Amino acid sequence: MIDLIGFGAKGWGSVLLMAALMTVLVTLAALLVGAVLGALVAAAKLHPSGLLRALGDGYTTVFRGIPELLVIYLFFYGGSALVSSVGGLFGAEGFISMPAFLVGALAVGVVSGAYQAEVYRGAFQAVSRSELEAAKAIGMPLMLRFRRIVAPQILRFALPGIGGVWQITLKDSALISVTGLVELMRASRVAAASTGQFVLFFMTGCALYLVLTGISNLVFSRAELRVGRTFRRS
Amino acid sequence: MSVDIAFVGDTLLQLLRALPTTLLLFAASVAIGTLLALLLVWMRVCEVAVLRHLARSYIFLFRGSPLLIQMFLLYYGLSQFPEVRQSPFWPVLRDPLSCAVIALALCTAGYMAEIFRGGLLAVPPQQIEAARAAGMSGGLLARRIIIPIALRSCLPAYSTEIILMMKATSLASLVTVYEVSGVAQRIIAETYRTLEVFLCAALIYLVLNFLIVRTLAWVEQRLSPRQPVTASPTTKKYALSVRRG
Amino acid sequence: MTTDPVLQVKHIRKSFGNLEVLKGISLDAHEGDVVSILGASGSGKSTFLRCINLLEVPDAGEIHVAGEQVAFKRGRHQLMVPANRRQVDRMRPELGMVFQSFGLWSHMTVLQNVIEGPVHVQKRPRAECIDEAEALLEKVGMADKRDHYPAFLSGGQQQRVAIARTLAMRPRVILFDEPTSALDPELVGEVLKVMRSLAEEGRTMLVVTHEMGFARNVSNRVVFMNQGLIEAQGTPQEMFNEQHCERFSRFILSHA
Repeated sequence: MIDLIGFGAKGWGSVLLMAALMTVLVTLAALLVGAVLGALVAAAKLHPSGLLRALGDGYTTVFRGIPELLVIYLFFYGGSALVSSVGGLFGAEGFISMPAFLVGALAVGVVSGAYQAEVYRGAFQAVSRSELEAAKAIGMPLMLRFRRIVAPQILRFALPGIGGVWQITLKDSALISVTGLVELMRASRVAAASTGQFVLFFMTGCALYLVLTGISNLVFSRAELRVGRTFRRS
Repeated sequence: MSVDIAFVGDTLLQLLRALPTTLLLFAASVAIGTLLALLLVWMRVCEVAVLRHLARSYIFLFRGSPLLIQMFLLYYGLSQFPEVRQSPFWPVLRDPLSCAVIALALCTAGYMAEIFRGGLLAVPPQQIEAARAAGMSGGLLARRIIIPIALRSCLPAYSTEIILMMKATSLASLVTVYEVSGVAQRIIAETYRTLEVFLCAALIYLVLNFLIVRTLAWVEQRLSPRQPVTASPTTKKYALSVRRG
Repeated sequence: MTTDPVLQVKHIRKSFGNLEVLKGISLDAHEGDVVSILGASGSGKSTFLRCINLLEVPDAGEIHVAGEQVAFKRGRHQLMVPANRRQVDRMRPELGMVFQSFGLWSHMTVLQNVIEGPVHVQKRPRAECIDEAEALLEKVGMADKRDHYPAFLSGGQQQRVAIARTLAMRPRVILFDEPTSALDPELVGEVLKVMRSLAEEGRTMLVVTHEMGFARNVSNRVVFMNQGLIEAQGTPQEMFNEQHCERFSRFILSHA
């Protein structure tokens, strides 16, 4: 039975490992999408304009409050319909589906963005006012202040939160399997169904996820130590 | 693009018919998960090393892997073994709904155990010491001092976890349970009216979330120390006590 | 007429790892004694006090409370532990302790804090405990705050409630572990006033403190600890005015 997860002729080992790689890639893509959206939404929530704040609040409330699965369906079915109609404009016929990777990255990214917005907002508010004022007092212009003072501090405060969001996004990526993307969840399921060895393959998939989350934990812990090394308090 | 009121209304009706299933999944998994988490956290802090390590492993396993794979492992994996199929538990384990509830409960127990542990660690040691100095120990100390304070500390994190559980119920649709998300997906696949169905389903979940958040906020408010509303009257009651004391 | 001491501590030794904090301390306290324990940080005074009510367990020595000796035995990892859990729980209320950080229970009101010990540990009737608690709160000047939560009180107010809470257990001896060290200077006075009134009532008190005024004017015995040993002890007159101990005199000057 062990040879089923091995790398031999009957072995699904290489498939599972490739799928695990796909999981990491789609999670990275989603995190980047979420980083951009999250930064925008955080900026909106911190803006003096009441309308922007309301929009930002709406975004985080909605995408933290509804199941990720629904968002995936929105992008999967809706995205495909969009792509098909756009394709129709150019003369293509029939149904064109949106690439599964794109669907997954966008859907999970939009949800991740809501959580990241809260992390960035909290990190921004934690930046020391006095350090900012000192920079203003010596005449540093806005962009330079942001680049040299605000951004590094936001990074330091946001890192633990982003570590948490990464872990959540990594596990949410399993839901992308409904789009057909061959990431770890789907690969495990296909292997299990085709061999009948459900327990073996789902446990192997589980173990691979644990390896991924374990490695992520280590990476983020090291990063937090490095970034925080010039600061006295935790 | 005109809004088809009839379609939206019909969709909402179909989704609402699936609402009891969602609520059942939610309530059952939260209740069982909380109880299991209490057991886990007791194991996590007890003196027996074996129990401590067992609890740690459980928590690591269930927090480090996706809920979906845990659910599939339980649903498909169990049916693989003839021993399970012939056991008296089979009617329960075969049913997708109970399978989903068990998977949800097992998963959330891992997260809740860590939350409860965080609450325990947050109890100020000075207050525990003062209780010991007054002669409290063991069960009395836990019941009157440690647990009430730990509970109040971990309430915000527990509330967050409860809301995540409400969203997690949607995964049951992937093991053939017809709760709200499952019905929504079916309607979308049949009619391709993605946006309208999405909005209806989203609305239902947002309303549920709102209700949960409000309830938990009320509980938090009831439990937290407040300034007394009226000033206590200093009347003859104290004078009498002084004479007696 | 000699009465037996209400508290007897003999040859207490205590180490934390390789660091020996108490090197053989003996002390007797008779009823009505108000003993001030002074010394530099690290001299072991807090550790000594905490050994008396067994928040720390001494590595060697004897402790007698109202004639009863506390039983010890060797436990796990060769560390000393109390032999009888019940004895410890019974004796601790006899040795009421007031902490530097107050330790009021944050989920209970002032009144609930004061009656908690009497009702749940000493199992006295609730109505009687409430009456006594209200009288004690009146005595420390906190009667009107009975329904307030500790989080909304100042440090001085919290400490006075903590004193009332300790008194509610009807202790034979009250141990004070730097009761005013965590307070803002202007709040120290109100707590010292309460402690003074307790001393004047004839309570037996052991006070670890930096407040020289209290040691000089209120206590009837002053103990100077240095590096885990009692370097000198005597009446305030002997210690402060007649200056038998040179190191103590230097200590007073640097802490005046």
